[in-house]
Amino acid sequence: MAYEYVPAIAALPFVSFLLALVAGKYMPKGGAFGGIAATAGSLILSVLTFLQVRSNGAHQETLYTWVDADPQLTFGILVDPLSSLMLVIVSLVALLVHVFSLGYMNDEGETGLPRYYAGLGLFTFSMLSFVFADNLLMAFMFFELVGLCSFLLIGFHFRTESAPSAAKKAFLVTRFGDYFFLIGVVGILATFGTTQFAGAESFPAIAEQALNGEAEVTTFLGFDVQTWFTILGLLVLGGVVGKSAQFPLHTWLPDAMEGPTPVSALIHAATMVAAGVYLVARMYGFYALSPTALAIIAFVGGFTALFAATMGVVKNELKQVLAYSTISQYGYMMLALGSGGYVAAVFHLMTHAFFKALLFLGAGSVIIAMHHNEDMWDMGGLKDKMPVTYATFLAGSLALAGIFPFSGFWSKDEVLYEALAHGLNSPLLLAAWVMGLLAVFFTGFYTFRMVFLTFHGEPRSDTARDPHGVRWNVKGPLTVLGTLAVVAGFVNMVPVQKVLGISGIDYLHGWLDSQSGQFSALSAHHYSDLTHDFAHYTAGTLFGSEVATVLVSAGLSLGLALAGVGLAYFLYNVSRPEPHTENLGSVRDVLFSNYYLDEFQVWLAEGVTLPAARSADTFDQGVVDGVVNGASSVSLFSGDRIRRIQSGIVTNYAALLALSLVVLVVAFGLAGGWLL
Amino acid sequence: MTVPMNYYLVLSAAVFCIGLFGILTRRNALMFLICVELMLNAANINLIAFSYFHGNLTGQVFALFTIGLAAAEVAIGIGIILVLVRNFRDMDVRKATTMRW
Repeated sequence: MAYEYVPAIAALPFVSFLLALVAGKYMPKGGAFGGIAATAGSLILSVLTFLQVRSNGAHQETLYTWVDADPQLTFGILVDPLSSLMLVIVSLVALLVHVFSLGYMNDEGETGLPRYYAGLGLFTFSMLSFVFADNLLMAFMFFELVGLCSFLLIGFHFRTESAPSAAKKAFLVTRFGDYFFLIGVVGILATFGTTQFAGAESFPAIAEQALNGEAEVTTFLGFDVQTWFTILGLLVLGGVVGKSAQFPLHTWLPDAMEGPTPVSALIHAATMVAAGVYLVARMYGFYALSPTALAIIAFVGGFTALFAATMGVVKNELKQVLAYSTISQYGYMMLALGSGGYVAAVFHLMTHAFFKALLFLGAGSVIIAMHHNEDMWDMGGLKDKMPVTYATFLAGSLALAGIFPFSGFWSKDEVLYEALAHGLNSPLLLAAWVMGLLAVFFTGFYTFRMVFLTFHGEPRSDTARDPHGVRWNVKGPLTVLGTLAVVAGFVNMVPVQKVLGISGIDYLHGWLDSQSGQFSALSAHHYSDLTHDFAHYTAGTLFGSEVATVLVSAGLSLGLALAGVGLAYFLYNVSRPEPHTENLGSVRDVLFSNYYLDEFQVWLAEGVTLPAARSADTFDQGVVDGVVNGASSVSLFSGDRIRRIQSGIVTNYAALLALSLVVLVVAFGLAGGWLL
Repeated sequence: MTVPMNYYLVLSAAVFCIGLFGILTRRNALMFLICVELMLNAANINLIAFSYFHGNLTGQVFALFTIGLAAAEVAIGIGIILVLVRNFRDMDVRKATTMRW
């Protein structure tokens, strides 16, 4: 089997990273062409891998064993339908972002370009390696590495005050989640002796056998097997919540918008933030065994979807709105994963990667045109000046809002359908579904509030009247992604299949279900068996028919989305829009301040953690160090006194010897009873 | 006629005490060596006396060892005393206190 080139998918961007780092100064465009060539190569190889998986099936191989002990620690690759799909998505978006950067960074005369392209190269390398990692430990390492790249690129404009602070915040908040992830990895290694994702010896397979009583595993702290698996799953979920910006660790993502816009598109919308969701999908065989973990995932996801969407409604800056919508959309994916909709989550991950990258790049185009002013209230009327940007941005917005027949409609509809169908038998999932459904309305509203404020009406500033033009290197990526945002949804038209009874048009479903042999445990139907057997998920129906359920679900979400769009149209599609959100009064203040969650976290750090750390420090300095220092000063003092014996006069020593001998003889004599 | 054991022990104790007394009171390093020699010979008297009484030659052999050891000790002791005289221009053992605390 010819999978030897798979490591090269990640190696190419790594080479471009090294080139840009070492020789970027001497290369034309600061190393941009190297990055473009490398990601184009990665894209070609990813597509080849995709086709190879299609014809030859999945493949897993260990490349390097770096600790040859029990348990073995290895680097390896796992290409199966899920990872090969993700490889294509990541390398495609990376390529387009590299091209777009020519327009956004080079043409705008930014300095420090080698650093920028080195960062992008390292990120692409780490992300692709994360995607094809065949074990959890390797995945964890690259998970950390993408976090590092995110930190480096958010802080790209390091001379400003806000960028380094945002970078630090992103790093610390995600690190907080990753701390739990690390414990989870160690726990899984200790429990199963392996962190492999695939095969009969993989940890999901062993976990399944252990729950069926066919295998023995070591649990810790006296928990039974089921509870222990839930704990492990939740620990790993800590990293997921941090990276995928789920409540309560989402606060870093809006701040991360300080980074250059192409970075936001690549890292903070399409790929790195997807790493968390991808990780859950990657080890779904493990999560599917734990109903508690699934319920928590679903509930956190549904809540985040609604919570973030409400905040997006009042933001004034283009990228802020998009940041909150990203958080909200990842909430949908978590909702899908938690409610047993593995395919729906991957589907939404894919369409979201396309349309959100598109929206960010479109926003980047607008930002170029507006001379780096991001305030939507200074824009307006850009649609005639920038037709390509407008058309593609509109396509992305329609997809984000979930309007038929754009890609977002199909995927979001499937997410909500899965949540509803399984929620009919589980009140918790139903609550998560309700939150997800309400978020649809807000999504439609804030998306089109953004579109109308930016592109419609009269220009509200001089720059908007005479915007800066953009070149092919901006329009090209926008067109590609715009097309994908329109058509990507057609790969999985489940509602059409169910309602019209045409079978076989759920290509993505078929794709994710196509594993056989040793990889059959990674297939979608195996996952649905697992959620059915272990989490007791069964799909319910409304009015006793699946078709009715599909129609109700699709109708509800489309209706709510249209209502949101309609409200935005009514309020903002006028020549001189008013800031209507001001009328919300104190509610607006709460939303605008992000529910005071940032303040709460600062208080948590300064009001709780800092005093706790201080008292721990006092204890450490006073008691722990006090005991150690006390022991040393006692011996110092006594040594100082006792050394007086050493007079240096032989006579005294002789006298001491003689006296000691006498004392010893007398003592033995008394003890032995032969004296006195 | 044999001399009783007690006499040997008393002699030995007396020689030992003379040696000990010399070490505790004298300041001259050469006197130290002589006194140590006395104490060692006190022990030798004991060894030989017991060896004789028990009809076992081990004690005499040990006495020979002790004499050899004493010779070696004196050689080293004289060497130390020479260095002492060279450094302090004196044989008084109380002067050599530069290395103490």
